[in-house]
Amino acid sequence: MRRFLERLLGLDRRWIFLFVLLSVAIPIIVPIGLPVTTTESTRKAFDFIEALKPGDTILISFDYGPSSAPENDPMAEAVMRQCALRKIRFIVIALYPLGGLNLANNAVAKVVSEFPDLKDGTDYVNLGYKDGASAVMRRMGDDIAGAFPTDQKGTPLSQIPIMKGIASLRQVQLVFTVATGIIGEWWITQVHPQSGTPVIIGPTAVSAPKYYAFLNSGQLVGMLGGMKGAAEYEKLIRARYPEMARFYTTTHDFTATKGMDGQTVMHLIVLLFILLGNSAFLLSRRGAPR
Amino acid sequence: MTLPPIGVWIAAFLTISALSFLYKDNPFFRFAESLFAGVSLGYYIGITLDQTLVPNLIEPLAHDFGKNWDLVVPGLLGLMLYMRYVPKIGWVSRYALAIYVTYYIGLDFTRRIHGEAMPQVARIIQPVFGPNPLAFVFVIGVLSVLVYFFFSREQGPVTRRISRLGIWFLMISFGAAFGFTVMGRVALLIGRLNFLILDWIYPILGI
Amino acid sequence: MTFNLGPVVLVLLFAVVPIIGIFLGLNSPGLRSRIPIWVAVFAGLIPILAMYIPKGFLSGQTGMSQRMDDWLIILAGFALLLGIVNVLQNNFKKVARRDSGWFYSVVLLIGLFVTGGAGIYGAVTKIGIGFNPDGSPTPFKYLTDWFFQPLQSTIFALLAFFMASAAFRAFRARNVEATILLVAAGLVMVGRVPILELLAVPFPSLHASAASASQAMGKLTEWIMDVPNGAAQSGIIIGAALGAASMALRVILGIERGYLGLGKGE
Repeated sequence: MRRFLERLLGLDRRWIFLFVLLSVAIPIIVPIGLPVTTTESTRKAFDFIEALKPGDTILISFDYGPSSAPENDPMAEAVMRQCALRKIRFIVIALYPLGGLNLANNAVAKVVSEFPDLKDGTDYVNLGYKDGASAVMRRMGDDIAGAFPTDQKGTPLSQIPIMKGIASLRQVQLVFTVATGIIGEWWITQVHPQSGTPVIIGPTAVSAPKYYAFLNSGQLVGMLGGMKGAAEYEKLIRARYPEMARFYTTTHDFTATKGMDGQTVMHLIVLLFILLGNSAFLLSRRGAPR
Repeated sequence: MTLPPIGVWIAAFLTISALSFLYKDNPFFRFAESLFAGVSLGYYIGITLDQTLVPNLIEPLAHDFGKNWDLVVPGLLGLMLYMRYVPKIGWVSRYALAIYVTYYIGLDFTRRIHGEAMPQVARIIQPVFGPNPLAFVFVIGVLSVLVYFFFSREQGPVTRRISRLGIWFLMISFGAAFGFTVMGRVALLIGRLNFLILDWIYPILGI
Repeated sequence: MTFNLGPVVLVLLFAVVPIIGIFLGLNSPGLRSRIPIWVAVFAGLIPILAMYIPKGFLSGQTGMSQRMDDWLIILAGFALLLGIVNVLQNNFKKVARRDSGWFYSVVLLIGLFVTGGAGIYGAVTKIGIGFNPDGSPTPFKYLTDWFFQPLQSTIFALLAFFMASAAFRAFRARNVEATILLVAAGLVMVGRVPILELLAVPFPSLHASAASASQAMGKLTEWIMDVPNGAAQSGIIIGAALGAASMALRVILGIERGYLGLGKGE
């Protein structure tokens, strides 16, 4: 047994890579349809947006890039769909320099194509990207037009109907930051103390554990942690709005729910790897001469 | 069978080139890697010019110079940053660098105090034996971790034991973080394989 | 021209003083490091003081702090592009000298100039860098969608393979602390995804039990994340915040000067 495990551990790692590739590819080709259970942090985020009134405004900040798009894109799309369904207006910005703007443009275009009644400038607006994230946040806390003089098309904010009555972040009911890295944290630690605006964060799974401290201290209203958090949110949307099921079960498009099959298989495999590796380690320690 | 558009073919080629590194380093991967570096830098040029410099600097100066005359200064300071590449006058860039660095550090200072330290300390101040029976676990955890991080004095026998408890809390946290990290890393692979299979291979096969 | 007190003071502090400093520094090398540090003190103190002093000239609508935010958004744009000059210098040298791998430098430069050129074209012609009015992508967007995004996503996706390989070869429970780490990792991994339901897929009679066990594991995972993890993260945040705040004060007050790139004796 020990020898078998040691030989296994000495395997060329390219066989491990191939095994990983197949483990993720097979659930895409043959979906399993495993269930998703929701957690309190995601339910809190969902309930907060559900409690907003039609005509309220939220700010959605795309603070991530293609390096975390499979986790973050479904979160952003799910929240925008919820806003469209509840007639909540949303202002889109991007603060992540390496790809945030393009992902924001793609996500907005996708959701707007699904809800043709949404009017640019009245129901939503895309203000684009700006450098200097924390300076932008600070400026928006006092005057949004100071940081974003125009929307992405070049229309001055004073001429955009959705921005009437929204001079600063204090007039916005919620900031939803979809984030990889530190920019998401700045919405919590800089903007929330400055303007008191509630914050929900959709971080990547890698940074999610840190945000439990902010959830505990009440600095965050809710959190969608990684792809699992996005899948939970999709489940909550489908449960509340059954007509949304068509986006999550029948389309070719990638959704977090579909991705959870591959996640589950890979988690099992990583656990197996850890068990195998440690079994060999323990057996070799026991067999080693004292 | 519907052939995917040319963009999908380009993306598929670049994706497979990058993944080929898993077999071994090869010219296709190095080509993809170099192209990635170049395109990323070109992306920075595009977004900075179109989204920041034109709407926040050039247009305000061009359309209403009287109100925005002072914006000439950050424009010049920005250009001054590039003087670090000219050996004889590189020291001039220190002014722009000093303003840039210390402004953001000033913001960081207020963030750390008001957004991090104070709310987290306030969170610890809670009834230990209150409605939540396990609240004391949280309080003990935070305090033992803080004792572990106190490096200003050598630790005695009591503080060493408390530090050990702090390390155990940290290990639980790092283990939990690893569990989350697995999800984060795998998600990226799921995204790429989803693209290759559903957006590239399936249309070619007519599925 | 409008002359509000805030912008005027900013121009005095961050334009007039540096100009005087540059002229003085031409003849006195010692002043080339001292005067920037004084400028830095003001640049760092203004955003801090504006938070605590609600006076119009400092934190009002036409005050120093808000205008300084506008300035630093612009300055951040220039700073983001700073590294490009270094990359251009190195890669042009490599191509000129035909160093090993110079072909890849050509690839990098082509990528940079084509994408950057598309961005400049979009900015100058006002077509922008997103979608055209008819919904088609601008040249910059096309390059971003089909070159930049797939490359960035895939380079980061490679990490999944290395992580799995490390789990197999490197993660060992060598001592008590490592064992706690691995046990916590295992519990969280089982609790976050429906592993038990996956294992029960071939056994229909076990589906209900697997679902209940999975729910219980989920609750345990939530508790681990809220309490022990939350406590450790709180401790880390407090410690790091206090350390970073004291470092920030040292930089603003000119005690730490490494960021200026000072030479020996400066």
